[in-house]
Amino acid sequence: MFEKEFQNIHNLAKTHDIKDYDVYLSKSRSFSVKIFHQDIDAYNYSDSIGLGIRVILDGSTGYSYSEKLDKESLNMALLSAKDNARNVDYKEKVILKNYPSIIEKLDIYNGKLEQIPVESKIKKAKEIEKIALGSDKRIFNVPHALIGDNESFFKIANSNGLNKEYSTNACYGLSFCLAKDDNETKSGSADTMSRNFDDIDPTKISNEAVQKALELVGAREIDSGNYPVLFNNEMSATLLSTFWSIFSAKNVQEGQSLLKGQLDKNIANPILSIIDDALLSAGYNTRPFDDEGYPSQKTTLISEGKLQSYLHNTMTALKDGTISTGNASRSFKTSINISPSNLFIKPGLTSKNNLYSMFPRCVEIVQLSGMHSGCNTISGDFSMGALGFYCEDGQRKYPIHNFTVSGNFLQLLKHIVGLADDLKFKLSATGSPSILVENLSISG
Amino acid sequence: MIKNSIIERILQKALSNGADFSEIFFEDSTSSTMQLLDSKIVKSITGNDCGAGIRVFYGNKAIYAYTNDVSEKGLLKAAEVASKAEIGDKSLQVVNLIKTVYDSPHKIITPFNSIHNNEKVAFVHLIDTASRNFSEYISQVSITYMEKVQNIMIANSDGLSAHDQRTYARVYVSSIAHKENQMQTGSEGPGALMGYEFFKNLDPEELGKTTAERAVKMLLAEYAPSGKFPVIIGNAFGGVIFHEACGHSLETTAVAKGASVFADKLDTQIANPCVTAIDDGTMPNKWGSSTIDDEGNPTQRTVLIEKGILKSFMIDKLGGMKIGIPSTGSGRRQSYKFAPTSRMRNTYINIGSDTIDDMISSIEFGLYAKKMGGGSVQPGTGDFNFSVGEGYIIEGGKITKPVRGATLIGNGKDILKKISMVCDDLELAEGMCGSQSGSIPTCVGQPTIKVDEIVVGGRKEK
Repeated sequence: MFEKEFQNIHNLAKTHDIKDYDVYLSKSRSFSVKIFHQDIDAYNYSDSIGLGIRVILDGSTGYSYSEKLDKESLNMALLSAKDNARNVDYKEKVILKNYPSIIEKLDIYNGKLEQIPVESKIKKAKEIEKIALGSDKRIFNVPHALIGDNESFFKIANSNGLNKEYSTNACYGLSFCLAKDDNETKSGSADTMSRNFDDIDPTKISNEAVQKALELVGAREIDSGNYPVLFNNEMSATLLSTFWSIFSAKNVQEGQSLLKGQLDKNIANPILSIIDDALLSAGYNTRPFDDEGYPSQKTTLISEGKLQSYLHNTMTALKDGTISTGNASRSFKTSINISPSNLFIKPGLTSKNNLYSMFPRCVEIVQLSGMHSGCNTISGDFSMGALGFYCEDGQRKYPIHNFTVSGNFLQLLKHIVGLADDLKFKLSATGSPSILVENLSISG
Repeated sequence: MIKNSIIERILQKALSNGADFSEIFFEDSTSSTMQLLDSKIVKSITGNDCGAGIRVFYGNKAIYAYTNDVSEKGLLKAAEVASKAEIGDKSLQVVNLIKTVYDSPHKIITPFNSIHNNEKVAFVHLIDTASRNFSEYISQVSITYMEKVQNIMIANSDGLSAHDQRTYARVYVSSIAHKENQMQTGSEGPGALMGYEFFKNLDPEELGKTTAERAVKMLLAEYAPSGKFPVIIGNAFGGVIFHEACGHSLETTAVAKGASVFADKLDTQIANPCVTAIDDGTMPNKWGSSTIDDEGNPTQRTVLIEKGILKSFMIDKLGGMKIGIPSTGSGRRQSYKFAPTSRMRNTYINIGSDTIDDMISSIEFGLYAKKMGGGSVQPGTGDFNFSVGEGYIIEGGKITKPVRGATLIGNGKDILKKISMVCDDLELAEGMCGSQSGSIPTCVGQPTIKVDEIVVGGRKEK
């Protein structure tokens, strides 16, 4: 697809004597339907294309993008990328290569998904709301009962002959419900993503959301103090997706990560390993190559407590004298950065139930709020609103609310003393088992 | 942009399956951003966003489709997709489009393209130098310079046709102070609905110094205490408390579903009588202002709370239909990629008559949150949280020392009643607010206020 547009750019670049450049195109289609009171509450459909151009001129990089693909717009985009390169006084060596392709077959596109009739999607979204509302009289509202799917096509080419593309798609279901008892409201949410529409099970999603809301009803307050803290798998994954940027080689090189100078050092408890795997089977972010066209791989970031690697693109790798980990990321509107693919904490061997009894008492956290405001990804400090359970004698005693949990992410990695076997991925493609942290500050 | 006859055909196509209403939002925007890091311009991006969104109502059901194929054929296809989502029983004709031109109170003096790039680059460097000169603890300064011109056209099947041009200028500065294993940041992000004159009137040295000073102060500060105690919240960005704790719950998005704690509270006392709160989209050249909203209605000044009594919600067209109250010109969206919904503009707590000195001397032990960080709220429960960017401990009626790492958490409906004192030093501060219809420019604001009791999450026990 889009061979003509790419050829136009190559020809125009020749005309303007632009020698080093790459072109990134994404085309996406998305659909979602949201149900409220058994009726359509929101129905969204989109079909969009965007193209980004990067021009390298005397070691400086300039960017531009356009949502129009006619020859004149492409010409304008090419020229403004060249102008922007002149603005930039930061020089950086950029490698534009024709990288080889990986042979493995990745199941990231299911053609059948495109054939699912809209009526089936609406029906499923209606079921999500209906099941939740019918499950318990305390469930009084389901603000989000949603089914959606999306399909993306990416194409990357550069001035050294690279020309690659791939398509990926997925569908998802989501429930967010509210439970009320006396004057107290608690929420619960659940979601699933898959490349098979039949895997989206409204009963399972609804029951999970309902259970999560109901088990928190009747929450009490908790005395401030230091407690062992058990983050359930979802909240541990949330923490990881909030703080992943400390692993970005770009942040390290720019002095914005605490992991600077920590390579090959023990930065976490030896039970902890963290992995980024762009080839993970059925992963949400599984892909054949990254946004520079660099082949995907599996990278161990922390191995048994030791920091083994940062996440690299080809530019940060060159600076560190290493090779890319295939974590270049961009959208057509942005410059090349770094992001994880499928990032996860390696699960342990014990069940979550066994974690409760590792200490005489602990606080279990099942909901967190304020990730973007209460977490400082540069200092590692966090202080977040939380909901969960007070646990004693190896089990949950009662739900608790209106408290914060605070600490420092790096300290936390050192003080993880238990890992369960319940690895779960969130829609953000970050996964974790439940983790037990020796000691954190709780204030209520 | 597009001929009236074509627009009418598209709107008619969107009605063709028996819909009640159809609307097209067309956008053609250009934007430029530049980033400075390590005292060098490291990034420069220019771009064009162009596309159209089509919205169709069947009763209170909203269907939205967008595309950036803005040819007549492309738009007709999007209109068809949207119309086919439902079957209605109406057979409406598009009312002849009559273009309304509004006189804009937001005058633009210096267009961005009249200023040479070198001047913009020099401006950014001045901020960087001032920050680094302030203290040797400053290890990094990140500055993002942003300019944007958004051209929009809106037309609907009721015959509305309007356009607007919005010119935005903003610079975001983040200074990082570093000592041993510790890092702290100080940030400011002033912006306006203005052209390059906004940057000309801004003092780059002051901006660099303020952010550096805050970062260093917090670097050397102790951790904040934990517990429940009185908190004084500083003016300007302190208004984020109202924005998060109450503002979002007063948008029809939350109200119409009964998912807001304030849904059934119109004309009742929801706040302490010292609280009056306003959402105003008409303030000249303010960051959250515009001549018309993204549904084509002139923006308004909406009194939300008067002396503690809830007077109005923030209402868009669809939300208004659901709750039976007309729009307050509050329909907003990030771009053509989003269906509009009710959103805040410039939202603030109005002035009171207390003084900061009286507030401080009234507190035996508490926190002065002089500068707030960001936050969020869950409208369903009203639970909010936000971080303190610059905080001080109050002991025995006096400010004693700076503290860092504090988070304030609580519930919107509770905190409104616990605001007991309000100063007269009202100021607004600019931010980007993210919600259902995307990320949009809004101002938060307030005078300095005192909250009698709030949970502070720190690292030390009191």
